[in-house]
Parts: sequence; structure tokens; C-alpha cells
Amino acid sequence: MDKFDVVVMGAGPGGYPAAIRAAQLGASVAIVEREKLGGTCLNWGCIPTKTLIASSELFHAARRGEALGIKAGKLEYDYAAMAKRKDEVVATLNRGVEQLLKANGVKIFEGTASFDAPTRVNIAPAGEGRDTRIEGGTVIIATGSASAVPGFLPKHRRVVESRAFLDLTALPSSLLVLGGGVIGCEFACMAAQLGAEVTVVEMLDDILAMLDSDVRRELRRHMEQDLGIRVLTGKPLENIEASASGVSGKAGETELKADMLLVSVGRRPVTDGLALDRAGLSVNERGFIAVDAACRTRNASVFAIGDVTAGSTLLAHAATAQGVTAAENAVLKTRKPAGSLVPSCIFTSPEIGAVGITEQQARDAGRKVSVGKFGFAGLGKALASGEPNGFVKLIADSETDQLLGAHAVGPHATDLIGEAALAIHGEFTAEELGRVIHAHPTFAESWMEAAHALHGACIHAAPKRRK
Amino acid sequence: MPKFGQMVEESSIVKWHKKEGDSVRKGEILFEIETDKAVMEVESFFEGTLLKILVKENVSVPVSSVVGYIGTPGEAIPATPPPTAAAAPVPPQTPAPAQPAKPQPAPVQQASAALPAVAPRAPASVRPDGLVPSDAKVTPGARAPAPALPAAPARQIISPRAKALVKRSCIDPSPIAGSGPGGRVQERDVRAYMESRNYSAIRISPAAKKLAAAREVDILRVRGTGAGGRIMIHDVERAVAERPRALTKMRQVIARRLTESFTTTPHFYVTVAADITDLLVFRKDLKNRGEVYTVTDFVLEAVIMSLQEFPILNSVCDGRTVRWHGSVDLGMAVSLEDGLVVPAIRNAQDLGMRELHDTAASLAARAREGKLTPDEMTGSTFTVSNMGMLDVDTFHAIINPGEAGILAVATARDRVVARNGKMEIRSMMNMTLSVDHRIVDGSLAADFVNAIRKKLEDVALWTSLT
Repeated sequence: MDKFDVVVMGAGPGGYPAAIRAAQLGASVAIVEREKLGGTCLNWGCIPTKTLIASSELFHAARRGEALGIKAGKLEYDYAAMAKRKDEVVATLNRGVEQLLKANGVKIFEGTASFDAPTRVNIAPAGEGRDTRIEGGTVIIATGSASAVPGFLPKHRRVVESRAFLDLTALPSSLLVLGGGVIGCEFACMAAQLGAEVTVVEMLDDILAMLDSDVRRELRRHMEQDLGIRVLTGKPLENIEASASGVSGKAGETELKADMLLVSVGRRPVTDGLALDRAGLSVNERGFIAVDAACRTRNASVFAIGDVTAGSTLLAHAATAQGVTAAENAVLKTRKPAGSLVPSCIFTSPEIGAVGITEQQARDAGRKVSVGKFGFAGLGKALASGEPNGFVKLIADSETDQLLGAHAVGPHATDLIGEAALAIHGEFTAEELGRVIHAHPTFAESWMEAAHALHGACIHAAPKRRK
Repeated sequence: MPKFGQMVEESSIVKWHKKEGDSVRKGEILFEIETDKAVMEVESFFEGTLLKILVKENVSVPVSSVVGYIGTPGEAIPATPPPTAAAAPVPPQTPAPAQPAKPQPAPVQQASAALPAVAPRAPASVRPDGLVPSDAKVTPGARAPAPALPAAPARQIISPRAKALVKRSCIDPSPIAGSGPGGRVQERDVRAYMESRNYSAIRISPAAKKLAAAREVDILRVRGTGAGGRIMIHDVERAVAERPRALTKMRQVIARRLTESFTTTPHFYVTVAADITDLLVFRKDLKNRGEVYTVTDFVLEAVIMSLQEFPILNSVCDGRTVRWHGSVDLGMAVSLEDGLVVPAIRNAQDLGMRELHDTAASLAARAREGKLTPDEMTGSTFTVSNMGMLDVDTFHAIINPGEAGILAVATARDRVVARNGKMEIRSMMNMTLSVDHRIVDGSLAADFVNAIRKKLEDVALWTSLT
């Protein structure tokens, strides 16, 4: 039986960085993957969706090019070509992960991992062949999550979750989206930008309920007014039926029909078949594995990272950070906590970036905060780019001026959030962020203006009326 | 100042519920006082306006002192000698009461006029100008330092520039030695101190520094847990949380009384194990007949009987004299959420088992509800502390001030013991007697605690008593 210092179960955005980091630190490492290297993120999540969105954004912008003096004539898109490009990008990155793992001396096992004993892993190959058993000084569980598809939904080729949607080679002309979360809204915007007729049904009072209401309002206005997406909230989608001619359902009194139903009601952790009990582990009532801040499970020689862990944000970069931390803790025998400040990016139109707490969370916690906001309508670069909508917002502690949260909705919001994350991580005060000289003309200036606004000292916004 | 409880000689008002000028109705709560045992609310016996508060909050004064005046507005206040703070006060700030005039309003003191007055102490701390001492500068809950403590260091003189640097740098200047005239701390002293403490090596996040400045945290004393030892906001928050906080009133009383007892009374301890197997069977029989008693009830009764056999254990010694208490006022320690009280079962020697059980149960219940009267909380002559329900093998209790001993009762456990030459499993309960060695010696303590043990083991005795 082969022995390794570290065995990683799952080669997604949590698992493969964990394997590489452990190998960098001199450990002998094995990684087990039952599907494709790169996991959901690279193959069926972040990367393929952003590839398609790049196309839809360009198409959408070109169609409105006349405002910027561009006449493109009759515009068409070829969804099959878009899908093909997506597959190529994914394949390129896929090879890249494999090369990185190999270059670091990580042994790759194809098959399904399960525990045989606390530190012994069984690998069952997908097809013919015998199981392999390997021994690991430390095992890192990084098996991720999969789309949750409630059992009451009809099993039909017109009812798809995100992964099956990405396999399409033609875009449906009308789309019904069940669930107004991140995935539902991203797909809705992408399809709508390409001209599909889209309806989003969300049971909660609003889409993307974890965001502050002003951010949600800005996105929803664009989705409804610019993209023509029908957004129905506060009602469940009922009487869902699928047939050869299409899908139908009812949200409250509204009858809905479409070519396809996209199910995006959340994700569930992948732990079935792992035989966790043989490692002395169990899952909580929602199926997640409990870990401490250092990513350790109850079993001292087993770590867990990413979507499979309790309290996970279900974000690839959070899994990566945890994976690196777990690898370091496993190899160096330390107990460093993984970072807990996780920015989130939503690739809707407009984009949304968020890091730290929301205003609502501050209010709920009874915390006294000051808020500074700056609209892109007041920013030279945004006007020059023809993208005057949206805003950035900073939330700071009233007593110490410490930056606690930052939110951006508008052009490049997902890239802009990086600066805010750095400032919050470094425990910057709003005053100091405002003192950093920002290059002009750039979108990033908006943070400086918002930091000024937080102290009522914004140069490029009219003062608030004196009370 | 009302006298609550026989032993109370001084009390302090912890909170006035009325301000000067407020109207007061009969029966309204006027103020809260703290005695040795508890905080009590005091109702007004008079109707009128609170004209003058003489005793500020947190100043301890002898009982029967005048604490304020109630009368009609405009009425002048008599020039009663102002009450004297029993503890050493800080310099006074309150002006003297106005000159006397008629008619005289009723002093609040009359609320307790029926109680024996205590002769006012020599007004040592009253200044010649007759100002009333106040402790306005003492933080709430703090007491004046005991005289044995060394005097506080002389006030540090610090130049404005040095002060500004100290503030900007978030450091505590008190360890800095001044090199200026008269030991004045100057900017260069602060810089030298900062260099000696390797200040420039400190790394701190901007928000953490701001919080440290706002909360006056000395960052030289904060351990950083961020990358490379950088001081982060939670490190400063931890430093703030680690600051000393004032004990609750009750804990201060406990601290004072137990320290006094433990440091002035020479304790020694004798432990015996009582075999209560038969007693437990007997108690169960009683229970089946509808007669409910707790194990504590039997212990209390055994102690009461033994105290009458050994009167010296029901006495109090002050180092020069020993005074016997003619009645057994048995204290029973009752633990509360944050502290404990010792209500006394008065004249316990006159109570039958049923009365004893009812009294003990009622006292314990009211103690937990905070409804004991001050007299019930003071003046016990011997105490029983039962931790039987807390799963302990043995413990040593500290004698309550004013008493000669305390019995610490531990958990009864099934143990293998030798009995009549054979091994048997018996329910054994350890009891540890703590006694004042000034009046009780080893053999007497042994006899006393064994007398209690023998009673608990004698079921025939309990049959006759219940």
C-alpha cells in the first residue's frame, strides 16, 4: 500500500491548492478526483459561466454601441460557438491544473475516494478495475458541493440545474429560473443579454436577500428595466410541469410558461459514499462536516475544507484559502486559522462585489456604524465609459472609523472589491483609505470618494443639506 | 441610616432613588443601602420633599446617622452634626448644610428611631470648616483603600508636549521617570522610554491604534496576534476586556468578610466520614409515609444538638475575650447566582424537626429569590455549608466572622468499608469541621465532630425525634 504524508479527497479549487501547498512544503501528496481536475469551479461553475457571460456582455454592449458612436449593423450570436469557446477555456485550465499538480510531484488518482480507516483511503475507479488503497498521514476532505434539486421537480430534459445548463449547445428562447440567488441571477442576466425571455421566481421577499436593500434595488432595477427580466418574489413556484412542448408553473396567481426551467435553489455538500464514520466523523443535520477555524475536524488527522464544511460560504476562493491553510497546518503541525474575510462577487449585469458586513448586519448586531456612498454617476471615468449606473458603499465603525464592510454594484464591481478587501483585512480606517491617492480617471477612485463621503468630505458630491 | 440587623454598625447608601427637590410619598423607595450582607431598599416613612441629601452614595456611615432631610420646600434645614464617613473619604466637595431655622423638618433618621441609636464616632475626618466628606471621586463600587496599603505615588508632572506624545503614541506614561525640574516628565523622557521599550518595533493596524487611543489602552502592553505580531483590533479589544472590573456589591462583602476571617482567625480542620446508610433508609421510610426530610435537615439537627453539648463551639472570640451565645442561631450557607448568603435559623434549639425543616426550606427558598430580611441574613452563631449536591469528596470552609466554627458537608458516596470484620458497601459522607484554634483545640474539635457523626449514624435517635 502506497503511503503519503497528505491525501486530498477532491481536486476542486480547495483540494488542488491544498495538494500543491503541501507539496511545496516538502510533503508527499496524493490527490483523488472522481471527475475532472479543477472541480465544479473550473468545469461547471465559475469559469464556464464567466466565459459565456463574457460573450453575452459583449453582445449586449455592442447592441447598445450606438450610444458610444459604434454602429455594428445587424448583430448575431452563435451560442454553439460560445459554448465551444467555453469548452476550450475549461480544457486549457484543466490541463494547467494537471501540469501544476504534476510539476509539484503530486500523485493523481482517478476514482472515488472513501475512508477505509481514519487515515486510510480507498479509491474506487470509475470503470473496470480493482480498488486501490492508500495511506495518508493526514487526509484533507475537499469534496465540495453539488446543485440541490428538490425531489418534487419533474425529471425532464427541460428541467436543468446549472451544470446541465452549461452543456447546452443552443440557448432556449425563454427561460424560467427557480431561485433568485447568485447562480439564478447570473444565468438570468446572461440569457437575457442574449435576448432570451427570462422570468426569475424567488420564494423570499427579494432576490439575493443577503445583500443590503440599496444594492439589491440597483441590480433589480437593471434586471427588470434594461434586460427585461421578469422578477417575481415572495411566492413559491408551484404546479411545475414539464412536457415536450415546454415547462409551466404558477407563482401566486401568475401562470408561467417557458422552454426551459433552470433550478438554482442552492447547493448541497457532497459527503455521501465517503464512509466518514470509518474516520470517526459525522455530518451535521444539514449534511456538512464541522471544522474549527484551523480546518480541523473532530479527528485530529483529518481536515475538511470548502463547500463541504459547516459555515461555508460556498465560494471557490474561500475553499482555496482554507485548502492552503489546512495543508500548512497538516504539514507544519500548526493551528493557524484560515482567513474569515471572504469577498463575494456576483457576475450579474451590473456586477456586484461585497466584502465584510452589510449595513443590515450592523443594524441587526446593534453596532454603530457610519456609511459612505458614492455613485458612479459622479465619476469621470464611469461617464467616459458610458457606464454611469451603480455605486460603491463603505461601512465603518463609528467609534474607531475601522472599515467593516464594502459593497459595490456597477461596472467592474467584482474587480473593484479587491482593494476594499485589502483595506478591511489590514484594518484600515475610512480616513486612511481616503488619504490613499487614487489614480485618475479610474473606477477605483470611487472608493476614495466614498471614504470621503463617510466623513461628509466628498469632493465630487454636493453636501447633504444642513439640518 | 436605618439599622438593619443586630450586628450592623455601619452601612452605606448605594443608590438614592430621589434627588434633592423631589417629592416623596410615604412608602416610596427613598434609597438602597448596603449592609454587610445585602443591598436593601428603604421606604420613606414621611411625606414631603427631599430637601437635602447629607450622605452621598457609597459613603459608609454609622447606623442612625442622619442621611438627609424631608420637609416642605423652603423650609430651612437644621444644623445637625453631619454624619461621618466610616471609611477614610477623599477630600470633601459638598457644601455644609444651611443654617438652622424653625420649624425643623423631619430627619430621615427618624425612620429608624425605634432602633437603638449608635453613638456617633469621633468626627475625625470632618474638616474644621464643617464640610461633609463625600466620596464623589471614588468610582462606584470602589472602597477607600485600607490604611495598611502604601500611599499612592505622588502625582506625575508631565509637560504638555510630553503629554501629547504619550497620547499620540497610545502609551501609559506612569512608568516614565521625569528628568525635568521637580521630576517633570519631558518629551525627551517619553522618547527615551519608548526607545527602551522598543516602541518602534510595534506594528499595529490603523483601526487598532484608533481604538487603543479611544479606550486609553497602553499598546506597549498589548500582545499582537496578527501577521508578524501585528496588533490587530481584537488584540486591543481583548486588552480592554481584560481590564479589572469592580466586583458586585455582594462579592465585595464576601471578599471583605472572608478575608477578615481567614487572615485573623487561625483555622484548623478535622474531617470525619459519617455512615449514613441507615439514615438514608430511614429517610426513605419517612418519605413513603409522607414525611419529607432532606439530609441537610438531619445534619442541621445533629449540629444543633451537638452545639448544646459543646457550648464553646457556639461562641465567638475576639482574641482577648470569648463570648458564649445563649441560643443556637444556626447559619446555613445558600449559594446564589453570583455569591452566597448565610441566613440564620433563630433559636434553632427550640425547633422540632418539622419546624426546622420548614424554616430551613423557607429560608433557602427566600434566599434564592433575594427576599430575606436583613435580620435573617445576619447574626448566625455557627454555620453549616452543605455541598452534598455538588459532587465533592471533601472541602474546607472558612469560618464566618463572629463564629467559632463551620461544618463543611460533602457528597455521600457508596464506598467499600470494613464493618464487623467484613467488607461492605456503605453510604459514606465526609464532614469537615473548621474551627477557631484560639478557643477550640484538637481533641475538642474531634469530640464535637464525632458527636455530630454519631448522631447521624444513630437511627434510634431520629426515630424518637421525627
